Amino acid sequence: MTCEEAKTRMTDYWSRTLGEAGETEFNAHLASCEACQSEVSRVGALWQGLDLLPLEEPSGKVRDRFYEMLGAYRQGLAAAEAPPAKRWWSMPAWQLAAAAGLVAVGLGIGYGVRGNGQPPAEVSQLREEVANMRQLVALSLMQQQSASDRLRGVSWAYRAEPSDREVLGALVSAVNHDANVNVRLAAVDALRRFSASPETSRAALQSLSKQTTPIVQAALIDLLVELKDPEAAPELRRLSGSETANEGVRQKAQWALERLQ
Amino acid sequence: MAEVSGGKVARLAVLFERYHRPLFRYFVSMNGNREQAEDLVQEVFFRMLRYRTSYDPAQSFTAWMYQIARNAGVDQVRKRGTAQVVDIDTFVDRRAELVSASPGPEESASRVQDLALLRRAMDQLPEDKREILVLSRFQGMKHEDIAEVLGCEVGTVKVRVYRAIRALEQIYFTLEKEKAS
Repeated sequence: MTCEEAKTRMTDYWSRTLGEAGETEFNAHLASCEACQSEVSRVGALWQGLDLLPLEEPSGKVRDRFYEMLGAYRQGLAAAEAPPAKRWWSMPAWQLAAAAGLVAVGLGIGYGVRGNGQPPAEVSQLREEVANMRQLVALSLMQQQSASDRLRGVSWAYRAEPSDREVLGALVSAVNHDANVNVRLAAVDALRRFSASPETSRAALQSLSKQTTPIVQAALIDLLVELKDPEAAPELRRLSGSETANEGVRQKAQWALERLQ
Repeated sequence: MAEVSGGKVARLAVLFERYHRPLFRYFVSMNGNREQAEDLVQEVFFRMLRYRTSYDPAQSFTAWMYQIARNAGVDQVRKRGTAQVVDIDTFVDRRAELVSASPGPEESASRVQDLALLRRAMDQLPEDKREILVLSRFQGMKHEDIAEVLGCEVGTVKVRVYRAIRALEQIYFTLEKEKAS
């Protein structure tokens, strides 16, 4: 290997992308060339030093603007795909005829929809796409490092379908594991969106037995009362008599027990 | 991206979550202005939507994205005039916060100084050298993808990355000497 060849491979060497054979060949050259050895060590330190430059973080506005733009684009796309207007429509006689026709078609569609209980395929597809997008945003945000991003994710959960089990799972996970108490509280509130699911009540109850933060415990008790879950009684009874529980939580648990009876 | 190109535009959200931070860092490294970098990130994703049908799934997505990013950056410089450079005092302050967890105060202070110097050296690199270093070092792009973005051979990329780091070294040591004198 010549020095010129070694120079073009230095960055690969520092990045450990030369491969085993390449690295052996490179090291053999270094062993026989002091100039390259000194350069690899000197410039390599700078190359590695670039790793220490802190990473810039964008503000939360970037995300808000992106989702606004995406929503607007999709609306525009849907509008552009609609059939174009024609000039003769503006004539009163045609308008009258069209109105009558639309009423008839509307009645026909309404009858058809009522008949088979299914919306038209395009509407279903669009609805599904919107639901997917909302789910995606909620799930993505709830996995972010920043607590404010995760809070935004929780607020997006309100826009998800009440039957969306993935979003429900992410909320339950946030209630149980999120390090930030505000995120946990917001996630408890958002669980109300999924109150029709029996999993919600079960998850809230399990979480209550794990929580140690009084404010989150109180929020979970409120939720269980709202869900009118009789299975919550044993846990509430345990809490109301627990000596280690916070006084406010004990009183809240007692209050909940009375409400559930 | 293939799905977005096929009409499922909502899937762009996945790409946004994955790439908006690296893109933002690319722009900040290139123009030193956070606000403009955020505008440019927005512009890149908008262009991805607009030109989504031109995406070829056989092509590297990263390379395609950075081609769009470069064009958006060039257009913005044309529109606004010359690029701005980051304020060094702001830079040092921000670095001080970030290294506060390191062991000793002297080491901390020295590291902040070194990093500030390194950042200044980066800012003083000619734009083409800074860009290739940012793509290769900060964006973790393969030489093949960089070659696609810049429209040159892989061998040329390797040589240019090497020249860029050597140029950075020269500037860094010049700044260090100036500081010492």
